Amino acid sequence: MGRSKLISSTRRKPRKRVRVTKSRTRPFSVVPQLEPGAPSDLELMKAIQAEDPDALSQLYDRYNGILKALILRVIHNEAEADDLLQEIFMEIWNQAKNFSSQKGKPLGWMVTLARRRAIDGLRKKQAYARAEERLQNETEQQPDAWVHNSTEEEIVLSDTRSLIRKVISGLPPAQQQAIDLAFFRGMSQREIAAKTNTPLGTVKTRLELGLKKIYDGLKELKGEL
Amino acid sequence: MNFKEFQNQSRLYVIGALEAEELEEFEKARKKFGKKAEDYLGKCYGLHEAFALSLRPAKSSAAIKDRLMAMVRARKEP
Repeated sequence: MGRSKLISSTRRKPRKRVRVTKSRTRPFSVVPQLEPGAPSDLELMKAIQAEDPDALSQLYDRYNGILKALILRVIHNEAEADDLLQEIFMEIWNQAKNFSSQKGKPLGWMVTLARRRAIDGLRKKQAYARAEERLQNETEQQPDAWVHNSTEEEIVLSDTRSLIRKVISGLPPAQQQAIDLAFFRGMSQREIAAKTNTPLGTVKTRLELGLKKIYDGLKELKGEL
Repeated sequence: MNFKEFQNQSRLYVIGALEAEELEEFEKARKKFGKKAEDYLGKCYGLHEAFALSLRPAKSSAAIKDRLMAMVRARKEP
């Protein structure tokens, strides 16, 4: 999908929220859309680096939902997810000086940090067995969490999320599962092979093909990945 | 390892799915390709963002933010 086509497709829909003016240069930008005049993520990160608590407050309001969803996807426990969310934002505050815009966007940095902490938390708190059981139950009901979410009719997906999910849901279920286990559970190829009773080479191929399709799909959507 | 193979491995690397025996060769290639490799890896980390954005945002209690901000402000005080 070309950039102009993407812009025109998003403009057809009536929106309650105001679109950020920077969307002209980055049509496939991150959610949520910002109100005019609101500081960018990068501006907030710079303010956090200068130890401005209000900037952290704004960043929290903007991304706590996304990071909580990511943590929940890993540890499957509401109370532990809330605790981890608080710890992660504290780490964002403490580690902000290590963020460099040359290496990526603030959200990518925060997600990487949150994922690592969530997977560490999963292992350290020995919640693995409990989460395993819950995940097993969920897996039996719905083969894939991404697919599960996409079928919830009551949820109105943002443009960004629906576009990303469209790319992901276009993968064969086995590729989705392999990526899901690697990214959200922190499993190695061998662990995935053991869990899914699949040859190691097949797991590797599934991961490689799936990730390439997602990467290429996102690149096509963003025109910049 | 040629650059195309490096690209394949990079996508596995950023989600932590490379096996130990693959990591060594990957790091050698990363060094060999230098800035080109680092630039590509930076792009691959966009996958993290995309996976997070693929999830429906979850609600968290207001008390979490209150506690967080209290801790931050307490640390900031001399």
